Amino acid sequence: MKKRTAQLRLVIMTLLVPAAFLPPGCRKKPEPSASERMVIRVPMFSKIQTLDCGNLTDVYSIGVASQIYESLYEYHYLKRPVELVPLLAEGMPDISEDHLTYTIRIRKGIFYHDDPCFPDGKGREVKAGDFVFALKRIANVKYMSQRWTDWNGRIVGLDDFREYTKGFRRESDVDYSVEVEGLRALDDYTLQLKLTKPWPQLIWYLASAVTAPVPREAVDYYGKDILYHPVGTGPFRLKVWERGFYIELVRNENWHGGTYPTEGEPSDWENGYLEDAGKPLPFADAIVYRIIEEFQPAWLMFLRGDLDIMQIFKDNFAQAVNPDTLTATPAMAERDIRLLVFDDPSVFWIGFNMQDPVLGRNKPLRKAVSRAIDRQAAIRLFFNGVHKVAYGYLPPGLEEYDPNIVHTDYAKYDPAEARTLLQEAQRIHGGPIPPLTIAIPGTSNLDRQIGQFLQKYLEDVGLQLRVDYMDWPTYLDGLNKGKLQIFFSGASPSIPDSLDMLMGFCSWNWGYGGNHFFYSNPEYDALYRKAEPMFPGPERTRLCRQMERIMLEDYPAVFLNHRVSIAIIHGWYKNAKPHEFSYNTAKYRRIDLEKRNRYKELLNELKKKPK
Amino acid sequence: MPGPTRESNSNNSSLQPGAEEHIPPGRSLWADGIRRLRKQRLAMVCFWIVVFYLGLAAFEWIAEVRKWESPAFIRWNEIVGPSYQKPMVPYEWTTADGKTEIRREWMGTDFMGRSTFRRALYGAKTSITVALFASLISLAIGVPLGAAAGYFRGWLDELIIWLISTLSTIPYLLLLMAFAVVLRDKTVFGLELRGITSVYLAMGLTSWVGICRLIRGEFIKRKESEYVLAARATGCSNTRIIFSHLLPNVFHIIIIDLSLRFVHFIHAEVILSFLGLGETDKPSWGAMIDAARAELARDVWWEMTAATIAIFLLSLALNLFGDALRDCLDPKLRVD
Amino acid sequence: MTVYIIRRLLYTVPIVVGVLLLTFFLFSVVGGDISQQIAGKNADAETIAEIRHEYGFDKPLFWSLDSQFIDHFRKALTFNFGRALDREKISDKILRGVGPSLSLTVPMFLGTLVLSISLALMVAFVRGSWLDVAAVVLCVAGMSIPYLSFIIYGQYIFAYKLGMFPIMYMPEESLLTSLALPVLIGIAAGLGGNLRFYRTIVLDEMRSDYVRTAFAKGLSTSKVLFKHVLKNALIPIITSVVLSIPYLFLGSLLLERFFGIPGLGSLMIEAIASRDFFIINAMTFIFSLLIVVFTLLTDICYAWADPRIKLE
Repeated sequence: MKKRTAQLRLVIMTLLVPAAFLPPGCRKKPEPSASERMVIRVPMFSKIQTLDCGNLTDVYSIGVASQIYESLYEYHYLKRPVELVPLLAEGMPDISEDHLTYTIRIRKGIFYHDDPCFPDGKGREVKAGDFVFALKRIANVKYMSQRWTDWNGRIVGLDDFREYTKGFRRESDVDYSVEVEGLRALDDYTLQLKLTKPWPQLIWYLASAVTAPVPREAVDYYGKDILYHPVGTGPFRLKVWERGFYIELVRNENWHGGTYPTEGEPSDWENGYLEDAGKPLPFADAIVYRIIEEFQPAWLMFLRGDLDIMQIFKDNFAQAVNPDTLTATPAMAERDIRLLVFDDPSVFWIGFNMQDPVLGRNKPLRKAVSRAIDRQAAIRLFFNGVHKVAYGYLPPGLEEYDPNIVHTDYAKYDPAEARTLLQEAQRIHGGPIPPLTIAIPGTSNLDRQIGQFLQKYLEDVGLQLRVDYMDWPTYLDGLNKGKLQIFFSGASPSIPDSLDMLMGFCSWNWGYGGNHFFYSNPEYDALYRKAEPMFPGPERTRLCRQMERIMLEDYPAVFLNHRVSIAIIHGWYKNAKPHEFSYNTAKYRRIDLEKRNRYKELLNELKKKPK
Repeated sequence: MPGPTRESNSNNSSLQPGAEEHIPPGRSLWADGIRRLRKQRLAMVCFWIVVFYLGLAAFEWIAEVRKWESPAFIRWNEIVGPSYQKPMVPYEWTTADGKTEIRREWMGTDFMGRSTFRRALYGAKTSITVALFASLISLAIGVPLGAAAGYFRGWLDELIIWLISTLSTIPYLLLLMAFAVVLRDKTVFGLELRGITSVYLAMGLTSWVGICRLIRGEFIKRKESEYVLAARATGCSNTRIIFSHLLPNVFHIIIIDLSLRFVHFIHAEVILSFLGLGETDKPSWGAMIDAARAELARDVWWEMTAATIAIFLLSLALNLFGDALRDCLDPKLRVD
Repeated sequence: MTVYIIRRLLYTVPIVVGVLLLTFFLFSVVGGDISQQIAGKNADAETIAEIRHEYGFDKPLFWSLDSQFIDHFRKALTFNFGRALDREKISDKILRGVGPSLSLTVPMFLGTLVLSISLALMVAFVRGSWLDVAAVVLCVAGMSIPYLSFIIYGQYIFAYKLGMFPIMYMPEESLLTSLALPVLIGIAAGLGGNLRFYRTIVLDEMRSDYVRTAFAKGLSTSKVLFKHVLKNALIPIITSVVLSIPYLFLGSLLLERFFGIPGLGSLMIEAIASRDFFIINAMTFIFSLLIVVFTLLTDICYAWADPRIKLE
């Protein structure tokens, strides 16, 4: 028995000890950036979902994909207010008199990235048919694209095509050669779209990576794995995607080329954004996106010089930002670190379910909740006082934003008035108001703090608030089905068009359509219908602002704040102008390699300096 | 651990000619155990600490239900200072009636300016409630199943063993998290599971295996003992045997297991809070520790420390007391 | 012996079936249809219906040859777990996570083992004295501090404040430095409980008759400990070691989360956060299987070492 147990011990130890030295899956590491190679290093705070252009929904995926794919149009990098310029298209589209037919010419000589899916691995030229294929794929019900809702009912014949695809078992069985009347390639370089009704927003959608041309070869070759193998035409192509770790894009040698813009806003000259006017793009040889889910290590990496750009959160605000001037603190300035402060068009709110028996017919109650909340205090507590109070719904940055909205009292903090309103509310309700319930999508510490904040302020005016902290899927489910009484949410426009935001209050968009307030106002609906086919202009702006006021009067939500973002960059990261809507901006960015290589010395010098 | 006291043998009266017959009074396991326990100072100190915590929890609970306003320490939601005020550092504060005074908070304040000390006290109620409910649920499942398995044996026993083995095969934390996630916001038998209730249920449903095994083992051992055979000979029904004879004799095992499991539940609540599955509305120790992650980056150490100390004292007291109790109630160590 | 092994093997079948039943109940019956969640925020009703069909949520639960019930069993037993919510193959994810988890847990485990047993033996030398009592109280104290507190304080003091270790696992740093702190914290946090456990084993052994005989013969404590007690205590020790191996693969959920180690523990926590039932289901099954296998191994080792069973 002695020998046996000793043997056993030996066997076990032999098994375990080598395991101790297993390198973590022998994974690839990002190559140490040689000092001559220009590599842009960016942190990402969440994993990306997919690099398949037809199914891009989350911001991070779109961000990476937009360097790989290109679409017909793109945003001008420097001009504000934002405007589109042709990218893969030859000039702006030919739009018919009735605004229903768009004829777009495609540039010749645009080639896909070299990829094994092509015969002998060489990327072929882009044809108009590829754009047709991209949209048909999104319409294919078996492909299960989340982007279909954007195109639902827009293009003549496409909905029928979708019906047609329902008859197939698998995505790959679908016969794409079926003609769709509103989506045709007139010849190899001409694309024609026919709309069911005027859709002024179409042009913005044609500037998104979602409508990038898709080569049939890639879809057939990769099947469901296409999300790992993006084949685009952009200035960068995918080299490495270590899931959960990092993504590396490298320069596309076959890129059709582009140059840095030569004009912009007046302030661009002083900010140095026009130093590289006219130079060929891209500047960088590679981009490395590091996935770092915790804030602390990301911040330290940035300070060490291992990241070129970083976000300002609550936790590094004090160290990096001077709260009065919103400029970099001396500690940052001496390392040649700068801040970029910009409006991030968005709005956050506490939404009411207008179909709720307690809230729906009781405007004084809803108004009381609005008056009870001190938005300034919330911004101070949760956002370092940087965000702007939301006096209305449309955020600054959109054309139709009304600067006069700040003079209204929709965002007033007045607990005394709230109490008076509550008495009125009680009368309407026919008794004391029962405890209200708000759903907050998240269980993190910040979410809890927000919940407790709201509870406190409502309690101060005599309202009881219960907080339900939900995980995202449960929350979404409740939101779409109208199960939540009050909810904490927000939105930002994906295109620079206010109607994109205003449709969230149309009665035909209840639930899944985006109207989570289940709000219905015939006057509002009528105005929306009127504005819908209009192209941006003074008349449309007037209608939008009118709609906003009508909705605000009904208090379907308590609007809280518009986000102001602060990014922090190193002095060597050039041309980093924030763009609120465009994602394909990496090609414009440049690294002053000499400066970056000297950073470590700079740090050492600073350490030696007497404090 | 201090060893069991050795009682001197009682006088064997038959050896003393002429002395009266002296039959020592019988002592039950409990009385004996408690008597021995009393003599251990460390254990008694721990006992009183546990009682203090329980009393605090009960007090906080009553105060909440009856909406008391005083004493001051139950007002955990009151803003007493600026955000993240350091502990023991004096600061100026204007109360609601306009008076300005200099105050010091023992354990500082949280992000909204509420007293960390008061929140830690309230946390006792949260954690103890969770542990209590979870214990009750696991007992309610484990004891009957263990008794049935041990007493009736046969196919019932096989079935229950199978159930136990299956549950033990799944790693505890995985099982707990799986239950907590799935049960969250579900409606079971018409009962809506809000937040913390699903936690009680998850903990209870995953922790009954230990006590079940223990009870089953004891029942099997004692089933064939003399007093049970005697009871059966006199025609006692099974129910009577189980409830009047067997169960009371395993009661001490239940108590010991309970005391140790209690600690375990309190620690599990901390982990579940960290995972976002715990109590979120009211202060809880787990939530305070979870908040610490972001707070420590700004050198705010007091919330976490308060919660850790609170948990530490209670766990230590329960563990030491449980150990002492087990030693004292262990019949093998009795020498009479 | 062979009969014994076969019998034990047969016992594992109902257990595996039981685990599959439990996971089915939890995830398919109670958890239910998560097609909306898979489809995402913007999907319309049709897309959701498609997804429901693709994942088989529209199949009948039980009473059919093509039911979800049968699917569940089939998928598990063929180790074909399909794809997770983010469309990556679950088997890929699991294989990727094994390495990092083991790099953390194996050193932690070995360190704890060696340290606890040595300390237990040392404490055995001074059994009954106040040192012993102090040791036990310290152990209980260690067990009374929440695991999370160990991790958070450890990370804060040694990595953040003193800068002795990197705060998180970075592939650029050497493996040794990145894992050093989490391993040390893991050992420290588990020491209390482990030391107490091994102390109990050693002391129990020392109470046996043959030890008393050895002492009576005049053997010194160290001889007794190393020549006799350790050998016999090895059996329960090895049992606990072998039974712990499956848990090594699971990784330490909390340590991985705090130090950003991309192992199976992290995977599990993410799956919980995103309610990815597919991953949770797959991992629960795999670990249960591992535990069944290693329990079987332990029993077989026992039987092999125990002459009574050999003779059966």
